[in-house]
Amino acid sequence: MTGIRLENVTKRFKTDTAVDDVSAQIQDGEFVVILGASGSGKSTILRIIAGLEVQTSGHVYIGDMLVDDYEPRDRNLAMVFQTYALYPHLTIYQNIGFALKVRHVPRPEIDRAVREVAARLGIAETLERRPAELSGGQRQRVALARAIVRKPEAFLLDEPLSNLDAKIRTTARIELKRIHSELNETFVFVTHDQAEAMTLGDRLAVLSHGRLLQFDTPQRIMSDPASQYVASFVGSPEMVFLEGNVLMMGGSSTFVDGPVELPLRGLGGPGQITVGIRPWDVTVWKGPRVGGLPGRVTGVERLGSSDQLFIDLLPRPSGSSPITPASAAPTVSVRALARAYDHGVGDSVVVELDPDRALFFDSGGNRLQSVSASNHPA
Amino acid sequence: MRRRRGRRAIRIAKKVATHAILIAACLFALFPIYFIIITSFSTLPIAAITAHVLVPSPSHLTLASYHTILYSLSPSFTSLLTNSLIFAGSAAAIGLGLAAFTGFALSKFQFPGRRTFVYFILIISLFPGFIMILPFYLMFAKVGLIDSYIGLIIPYSAGAVVFSGILVKNYMDSIPDDIEEAALMDGMGRTQAFFRVLLPLCLPVLGLAAFLAFIGPYTDYALANVFLTADPTKWTLALGLYNIANTDTGEQNYGLVTAFAILMSLPIVAFYMAFQRYIIGGLTLGAVRG
Repeated sequence: MTGIRLENVTKRFKTDTAVDDVSAQIQDGEFVVILGASGSGKSTILRIIAGLEVQTSGHVYIGDMLVDDYEPRDRNLAMVFQTYALYPHLTIYQNIGFALKVRHVPRPEIDRAVREVAARLGIAETLERRPAELSGGQRQRVALARAIVRKPEAFLLDEPLSNLDAKIRTTARIELKRIHSELNETFVFVTHDQAEAMTLGDRLAVLSHGRLLQFDTPQRIMSDPASQYVASFVGSPEMVFLEGNVLMMGGSSTFVDGPVELPLRGLGGPGQITVGIRPWDVTVWKGPRVGGLPGRVTGVERLGSSDQLFIDLLPRPSGSSPITPASAAPTVSVRALARAYDHGVGDSVVVELDPDRALFFDSGGNRLQSVSASNHPA
Repeated sequence: MRRRRGRRAIRIAKKVATHAILIAACLFALFPIYFIIITSFSTLPIAAITAHVLVPSPSHLTLASYHTILYSLSPSFTSLLTNSLIFAGSAAAIGLGLAAFTGFALSKFQFPGRRTFVYFILIISLFPGFIMILPFYLMFAKVGLIDSYIGLIIPYSAGAVVFSGILVKNYMDSIPDDIEEAALMDGMGRTQAFFRVLLPLCLPVLGLAAFLAFIGPYTDYALANVFLTADPTKWTLALGLYNIANTDTGEQNYGLVTAFAILMSLPIVAFYMAFQRYIIGGLTLGAVRG
């Protein structure tokens, strides 16, 4: 059980920068998920920790040990590959015990360790078979068993669940979480699936174009994202973004986009900004409501337990707003979560945006920290 | 109903035609072998053989040719066979060993000029081998390697490396890098990963490569004829066969030649039988994987 520290790690391949000055401290026994789209450099970071890839600059520490010059075999880390990378010519028993055999662990000890971990992962009956004869879920367990049996300093997992069927994936996720809490070891888990990241991680490292955008708990990343990219990447359904202008009136500033007006509470100067709001912070009413915005449902996405409504807001009738005249502004569309099967396409609704839950971003996608937002953690 | 019967008739006709063609092709391929076998058991002059082959008469069947080859040949058949096995076996072993490393390097290591090197090898292998006989001879004569085992093993092995190296490389390309990396994570260095994981995975292609590396020198006449001039004790089977066929009188003893050919082919057949699984696997590489 050991922590891992990255210090200004950068990796360049010829012309492009895969990992850009990433620093992070992964604690002992922590389950850290590296989350990013494909090409964000998340796998490269994992491979640098593993020693399979050498960073262009920066340092990697395992525990207190600087391991920059260490070969993978000297780092004592275990890795679970996306493809599982089992040895096709060996039986499951040999696959799991291979690392111990290489280390000249006595035969009876290997036997005990292999059988114990196989029993724990429910693959005891597959030990004499070869990888090709196993199902995807079983292979994934073998890959995990191969890692566990070694008692490594830390576990590196490169999208280990992405080749599984959706149904098995959920079970595997729960099981992985259970194994982590049983072993109490450091896990570094790479994925592009934000739902997987949210459920598994003690902390999430959100990566884009090689940069570490935010490294925080799932809850904080959801409620207090550092940038528009992070806000859009996590949360499902995706956050609604509205682009509008800041109008200054007297001492206060207001965000305006068509009929939507949100108080800015001293945040940001005049100009273009973006407001982000989660679909579940948009409330839909069937009847009139004071302060509500009338709109029409243009699409319904049935999510099962709830519906995501696509709503076009109606322009304000002239004279109704003290701030802006009604104009031929482009239609403003929002999305909202509503109770399943309550609404249909074409329905007239009234929409309310929770101003306290709205997040504000400048034109560069950076978060504008408002006093009110930090007062209202989710 | 009639329509169905018609379709069935067509299907049967197709099957009959297919099999007729296959049988004809088999006859075409097998007849020469049959011809050689029958001939080897006879002592008839060439003019009488064809009739004898078509209707073999027991009175003309004899083991005389085999007896002559096995007991009264000079250099002896055993000597020729031993030499051939030494040359072909060494070439296959050395060539294959080097080819495995060559394939590993070309497939799994990144170094400048790698692609160029692969193309270079491919281009070299396009030249027919015998155009190199003269330069080889001149070089080897200078360093006194003519009429020696080593002198012939070196070019044979080199030939095997070129061909088998590419074969192994292509096969290793199809083994995902993940597998080697898993071995590295499991505590192996690259050398250990190569011997314990990659090489065992390459067995099918190594079987094929070994077979091809063996057959080449085993059946080679051109190079051996130039390199083994003065010393008949180092002669190979191919040279021995030529010696029998090329009599002073100009009269051919077909029984002797064919019996020799059959005896000569037995080790290859045995080799093939032993490694059949790998050789067939190697030949169908890339067809089905996973």
